[in-house]
Amino acid sequence: MQRSMQVKLAAIGIGLVVLLLGFWLCTFRLNETEQAVITAFGKPIGEKANDHREAIVKQAGLHFKLPFIREVHRFDKRVLAWDGTSQDMVTAEQKNITIDTTARWRIEDPLTFYRSLGNEERAQSRLDDVLHEQVQTTIASTDLTEIVRSKGWEIEEEDLKQVVRPEGKGKQLEQQVQTGRKELVENMRSEAAKTLQDFGVTLLDLRIKRINYVDQVQQRVFERMISERQRIATKFRQEGKEQAQRIRAEADREVSEIKADARRESEVIRGEADAKATKVYNAAYGKAPDFYAFMRTLESYQKALGKESVLMLSTDSDYFRYLRDVEPKQDDGTASPSAASNE
Amino acid sequence: MAPKDFDFDIGEFIRHHLARLTRRARGGLIVLAVVVLVLLIGALSSYYTVPADSQAVVKRFGEVVAVTGPGLHFKIPFGIDTAETVAVTRVRKEEFGYRTVQAQRKSQFQQQQDDESQMLTGDLNVIEVEWAVQYRVARPEGQANPTDPADTAAARWLHAVRNQQDTIRDISEAVMRRVIGNRLAVEALTRERAKVQQQVKAEMRRVLEDYEMGVYITAVNLQQVRPPTREVRAAYNEVNEAQQQREQLINEAKSYRNEVVPQARGKAAQIVAQAKGYQAERVNAAKGEASRFEALLTEYRQAESITRRRMYLEMIDQVMPTLGKLYVMDSNQATPLPLLNLDGVPSLKDNR
Repeated sequence: MQRSMQVKLAAIGIGLVVLLLGFWLCTFRLNETEQAVITAFGKPIGEKANDHREAIVKQAGLHFKLPFIREVHRFDKRVLAWDGTSQDMVTAEQKNITIDTTARWRIEDPLTFYRSLGNEERAQSRLDDVLHEQVQTTIASTDLTEIVRSKGWEIEEEDLKQVVRPEGKGKQLEQQVQTGRKELVENMRSEAAKTLQDFGVTLLDLRIKRINYVDQVQQRVFERMISERQRIATKFRQEGKEQAQRIRAEADREVSEIKADARRESEVIRGEADAKATKVYNAAYGKAPDFYAFMRTLESYQKALGKESVLMLSTDSDYFRYLRDVEPKQDDGTASPSAASNE
Repeated sequence: MAPKDFDFDIGEFIRHHLARLTRRARGGLIVLAVVVLVLLIGALSSYYTVPADSQAVVKRFGEVVAVTGPGLHFKIPFGIDTAETVAVTRVRKEEFGYRTVQAQRKSQFQQQQDDESQMLTGDLNVIEVEWAVQYRVARPEGQANPTDPADTAAARWLHAVRNQQDTIRDISEAVMRRVIGNRLAVEALTRERAKVQQQVKAEMRRVLEDYEMGVYITAVNLQQVRPPTREVRAAYNEVNEAQQQREQLINEAKSYRNEVVPQARGKAAQIVAQAKGYQAERVNAAKGEASRFEALLTEYRQAESITRRRMYLEMIDQVMPTLGKLYVMDSNQATPLPLLNLDGVPSLKDNR
């Protein structure tokens, strides 16, 4: 019993181990993030039938393969990133810029990829070549405005005023965008993608991550920005002074006008008053001009003659008539009433 | 040997062989240890817990078979099933142009490289933009729950893109620059901030949806948008100041106007009133004098000679005493000789 049990146990044990081993040798696991190319003796399987669908495995999970003979080459199935280094380039209108591009790619056809590039390291280097070249070519033949702005670039009138610039630049701002950033970038991508397809790589996108002036130019640009701002500031101050002056001048003008009108009206009123008064006087005094002359002259004597006056009277003066004669002739030539009564 | 009864009693079997194994000392112990180890590994790898804010993506032989929620779950041991947890409710944040230090306490914003924050505007000026992107591992809003567990947000987060963070960062920078590149510097600095945030968020969502990486952008927040260097900032401030100065000058002029014009109007009214006063006075005086004259005239008409004489003498009464000097001359005399000098002689008035 013991020995046969031992043998049985051993057999079970060995059997288990063989099973596990066999399992391990005859299968491979593929993660969701992986895809594989199966080769036999260095060549992808299914070559004879020229059908390589067998060679490519994309589905995750457990797969079977012939042990030892078949090799599994794994590749990433995921979206991979390519980050270009910052590069200095020149635009169509000779502007020096630094541009940093980034792209996303995927190993769409692992078999072609395996055959042409073999591994990711080489792929990255190939991407560097293709993409940098594509970007450089495109940038060199494009104006900076086309690179920075997108379609639908419109500038409002009032904003144009805010941005005071010398004549030429104003036009540049209003310039309609021909292609625009999106389309430009898309063109770059599709061009590069054609080349990369030959390597089993799909270029999902190519984007401008950063675009800036080169350092030396940057400083000049800052200076330009500063002087532009200063011009605008001066313009505002000028406007302020002008408008203030205008308002004050208008106010002064209005004041003179008001005063002149008032004076004019005052004169008219006074004139009318004088006229009316004169009319009244004439109407009254006109009834007895002699009497008026008499009365008025007497008033005048009263006013005019005083402490400072020196008066010379003739003895013939009517005032002294009673000094000469107690019964002088009347003014009308008749005798005085007392003289008349005495006769 | 006589054939034995194959009576396989498992208990007996184990006891018997355990005894045999232990008797075999070293060899037996090794096997025992191995068995125990295997059982232990099996036990430990047969369950997993998922934290409250997460989900777990369960893969069998590498293939996604399920996505489970928080709690304790069982799986096939020995690495056949793997469970990766993904925090799905947590809001993740990426910062650009700055970094938050000591997020628990008051955030101290530290300036990162200018490279990240500097960008070109549509009028080819340079500004600095600092912003943050918040996102979650989630499907875009409004999408139904997928039938295939491999299509859930958590699974896609793990499997769609290799460097998830880097990808989000690259896309964010590219999109922000495109949006800013389509605006004037003044717009971006002042009134378009909300629009920019909206646009960047919408565009990022679109792009990331295409990648199907299980990311949903919840917010894009602009922290600071400003001119690049101190000097440029000063220049921008100068514009604001100049604007204020302009307003001030205009207001001063306006208040001058508001002071001077009403004053003039007041003065004008005064002048006119004075004229009217003069008018009233003059006309009334004239009317008064006229009626006085007419009254006098009526009386005069009744006794002309007497009235004349009376008036005349009244005048003399008034004038004579106040005269400075009075000379009475003989009408026959040609040259004036002072014959009667009333000056210095005490007047009749004084003797009364």
